[in-house]
Order: sequence, then structure tokens, then C-alpha cells
Amino acid sequence: MHQVLSNKRTIFLLVVPGFLFFLVMVCVPIAMSVYYGMTDWRGIGDYQMVGFDNFVNILTQDKVFWRSLWNAVLLVIATVVLQHPIAILFAILLTHMGKWEKLFRVLFFIPAVISIVVTSKLWSAIYHPNFGLLNKVLESIGLATWKQEWLGNPDIAIWSLILTIMWQGFGYALLLYYAGLQGIPEDLYEAAKLDGANHVQLYMKIIIPLLAPMMRVAIILAVITCLKQMETVFLMTNGGPGESTQFLGNYVYKAAFSSSLYGYGNAISVLFVIFCLILTVILNKFLKKDVGEF
Amino acid sequence: MDTTMQRGSKIILFVVMSAIALVQIFPLIWLVNFSFLKSGDFFGSSFLKWPEAFQWKNYADAFQYGRVPTYFMNSLFVTLTTVIISAVLALMMSYAFTRMNWKLKLPTMNFIMLGMIIPIHATLLPNFIMFNKLNMLDHLFTLIIPYIAFSIPISMFIMTGFLETIPKVIEESAVIDGAGVFTILFRIILPMTKPAIATICVLNFITWWNEFIMANTFLVSENLKTLPFSIMKFTGQYSSNYGAQFAVMTCIAIPSILFYLMFTEQLTKGITAGAVKG
Repeated sequence: MHQVLSNKRTIFLLVVPGFLFFLVMVCVPIAMSVYYGMTDWRGIGDYQMVGFDNFVNILTQDKVFWRSLWNAVLLVIATVVLQHPIAILFAILLTHMGKWEKLFRVLFFIPAVISIVVTSKLWSAIYHPNFGLLNKVLESIGLATWKQEWLGNPDIAIWSLILTIMWQGFGYALLLYYAGLQGIPEDLYEAAKLDGANHVQLYMKIIIPLLAPMMRVAIILAVITCLKQMETVFLMTNGGPGESTQFLGNYVYKAAFSSSLYGYGNAISVLFVIFCLILTVILNKFLKKDVGEF
Repeated sequence: MDTTMQRGSKIILFVVMSAIALVQIFPLIWLVNFSFLKSGDFFGSSFLKWPEAFQWKNYADAFQYGRVPTYFMNSLFVTLTTVIISAVLALMMSYAFTRMNWKLKLPTMNFIMLGMIIPIHATLLPNFIMFNKLNMLDHLFTLIIPYIAFSIPISMFIMTGFLETIPKVIEESAVIDGAGVFTILFRIILPMTKPAIATICVLNFITWWNEFIMANTFLVSENLKTLPFSIMKFTGQYSSNYGAQFAVMTCIAIPSILFYLMFTEQLTKGITAGAVKG
């Protein structure tokens, strides 16, 4: 037994093919980014090593970089403060739906399975100043003065974008909390009812605290997803108007492919990865404290 | 009295849920509705409109200018190849990581799991440079290779989790009977891990079926694009053909929705599996 299961050749054959894919497509690119990030390469021709200049410039002078991070922060706040509480509420309500439970679960989740290309273009149409659904709805309920260029106004565009992202992600958050609720033992509900707890007490005092581990996971996932946001931005606004809706992923793309700043773009990529890693570590440490046991 | 109250609150609950479900679904209803309208009818004031005549021409345009059939087949090829190879690789690796004994097991595993945090978008640019240097831009495999790579961490995560719950007794007796690891893996483990494999496949399928940004970056030639790209064909010349654009979007959305309806449970498991263990 022991010999068969520690045969070096077998282990090598099992692990190496998959590991190579991972190494070549995920790790090598990051190493390449570190290298090119230290150059002033513009896509064609020769380039010079410029050391850490790009990184220093990005961190100290690049307003768009910080704007991109700030937009991610806005998205995180909106997600954690609005989307998640609503998702928790509806996950709880879902468990009371009896035979309708599955139908509603499916309906809520459908936007999350559709390609981002469709949802982005669809919401661009919804926000369209002339034929857009949103302006039509506002007009029909007597709020015609609220009509807007939802994606053309630099003060509002970011919120239009955030609404779209939250709409698509709602089903995800709901599903996670719903799964969390399924993991809570039935006896707890029974016991609380025997002790005379009403519904509000039951949920506020017992069930929601028990959801804490799932909240930790859901929030970490949400923060990382917010930071990684790109396709919706790319397809709806491409960061505009005036970089007001820029996100890191899209900024890298724009720097490299539109402005031909390959060196600079790679440096942003590297910082992007570092931010994601640091944030995950911090969140894990920070949120681990208040996990309840049952 | 009590039962009427309960009935009442049930109805309120139902109404509230329906309202939110409508918010979630309404944009899609609007999409399908307007995909049957003439482009000129888009500008009326009503937000749902029964078409005077169903504009099937929109769908004909979608198929012709959006090249929906070609891109559908490309998507199918890319996605299925990715899904199958990823599942096999994940099974092989997970076996080595859960059942076999080797020194670098834990660090290697943790290293691969870091891959779940790395944003795809940070690898776009260097991978583009790499593919460009290797003259590999514009080949469907240029898409499949990174898709497989980014499938591995999450697939392994689900698979190792599942393997840990399977008792080792059957394999042990097989080893005593003289079976090799590959026999065990494909004759014994594969049938037992079917639920996990289904979960992995469904999750990877939907992820890569919908993927856009890598397809947009690594493929240049018009013939190789994947389905989400159909919509991009309507940015220039045909950009005022709103009806056809809505038809294209409907065509892209429907396969994903059907797939989800067919594999609801597996997909739900796949999405929550990662989180529950987290």
C-alpha cells in the first residue's frame, strides 16, 4: 500500500500535466509582468529597464489608479451595505416559501448565469437616454424630471454601473446565504420556538449570528469580486466619462492596448495581483475573530 | 383566526417575493419583447409592447450579421474541450493530493489554491505578449489553454473536498490485489466521484461558455470568435439595428439559461461548495 501510494513516478505523472498548465498560464505571466513592469516598453521596438519607476509613479502620481481603487471601494460598500442584507433577508424568506422555494431560487439566480456581455449591453440599453427602460419607467410614474443620461453623467455613471453589477450578483449572494441557512440544524428552530421566541427574535438572536461564518466567506468573495470587476466596465463605459468609472482590470487594458504603455500596464497588473493577495490575507485575519460555533 | 393570519402573511410574503423576482427578471422580459420589435418602435413611450407583427427578421439578421451559428459552434468546441480536460486533470491531481504521500504536497496545494485569488485580468496583458511572441494568437487552443489553467484551482478545491469524504477501504483492497494507481483512479475512483465531476463540469461549463474578455483579447480572426462576441458585430455598421441587437442578446442568453435549468442542482452545489468550505 505504502509503496504504491508514494511512487514518485506516478505522483509526477498525476500532478505535472495540470500543474504545467497552471504554471505557464498563471505564474509565468505574473513573472513576465514583473519584468516588463520594470521597463518603458511601448509594445514595439526596444525598451529600457527603468527599475521601479513605473511602480513609484503609479502609487504616487497616477490619479486614475487611485480612482480605480476608490471605485472598487464604492462597489464594496454598496455590495456589503445594500446587497448582502437584502440577500440575507430574502434567503430567510425563501425558506418559508414551501413548494415555491425552488421556483423563486431559480428566478433570482437567472441573471447570474447569463453572459456579462448580455447583461452589460442589456443595461446599456436600459440606461439609454432615448429608448431606455429606466427613463420610460420614470416618465410613466410621473418622475420625468429624474430622467438622465445614466451613463453619460460623470457623477452618476459609477452608480449606474454599481446597480448593474449588484443586479447581476444578487443571485450569487442569495444562494450563498441560502446554503448557509440550510446548514443550520433544524433542532435550533424547534428549541427556540419551545422557549417562546417569536420569528424576529429567532432570526435576530439565533439564526443571523449563526450565519456569521457564511457572511465572512460571502464578504471576502464579494470584496475580491469587486476588485476584479472588469467586463461590465469594459462593455458599458470603458472607464468613462472622464475615467470616472475606471476599474483596475480595465485600466490595465486601456493603458496597454489603447495607449501602448505596455511597461506601465504590466506594472499596474503586478500591483493588481499584490492588492488582491494582501486584501485576501487581511480579510481572512480580520474576519476570523467573530466566527461563532454551533 | 390564527390560520387566517398565517394565510395572510403567506400571501404578503408571496407578493413581496414576486415583486423582487420581477425586478430580477423584468430586464430579460423586456429584452425578449423588444427583440421582436422594429427598431423604429423602440422609441415609443410604452415599456412593454405587443409587436404588431413579430419581427423574425431580427433573428435572421442576428444569425447572418452576428454569425450566431458559427460562434455557437466555436463556443461549444472551446467550452467542451476545456471542461473535459480540466475534469481529467483535476481528478488526477486531486488523487495525488489526497491519497498519495509526498513531501511537497501541502505547499504545492496551497500554491495552486492561490490561483483562485489571482485575477484573470492581471494575466491578460502578459499572456497576450506571450501568445504574440509564440505566434499563437488566433487559434482556438490559445483560448482553451488559459481556460484550463484557471479551471484547475476551483476544480481541485471541489474534488479534493469530495475525495476526503470517500472511504479508502475499496482502494486498499484493490492495491492488495495488485492494481496500479491509474487502474484505481479510472476504474474505482472515477465512478465514485461522479457527483463531484458533474459539479465541476457544470461550473466550468457555465464559466467558460460566458467568458468574454480573454476571447476578445486573444482571438483576432472573425471566424474563431465565441458566442458572446456576436453582439460586438453590431457596434459599427449595424449599430442602429436595435431589433437585431436585442435578438442577438436573446440568442446568447438562452443557451446559458437552458443549461442552468437543466443542471440547477449541480451548479448550485458547485457555487456553494467553494464557499461552504472556504
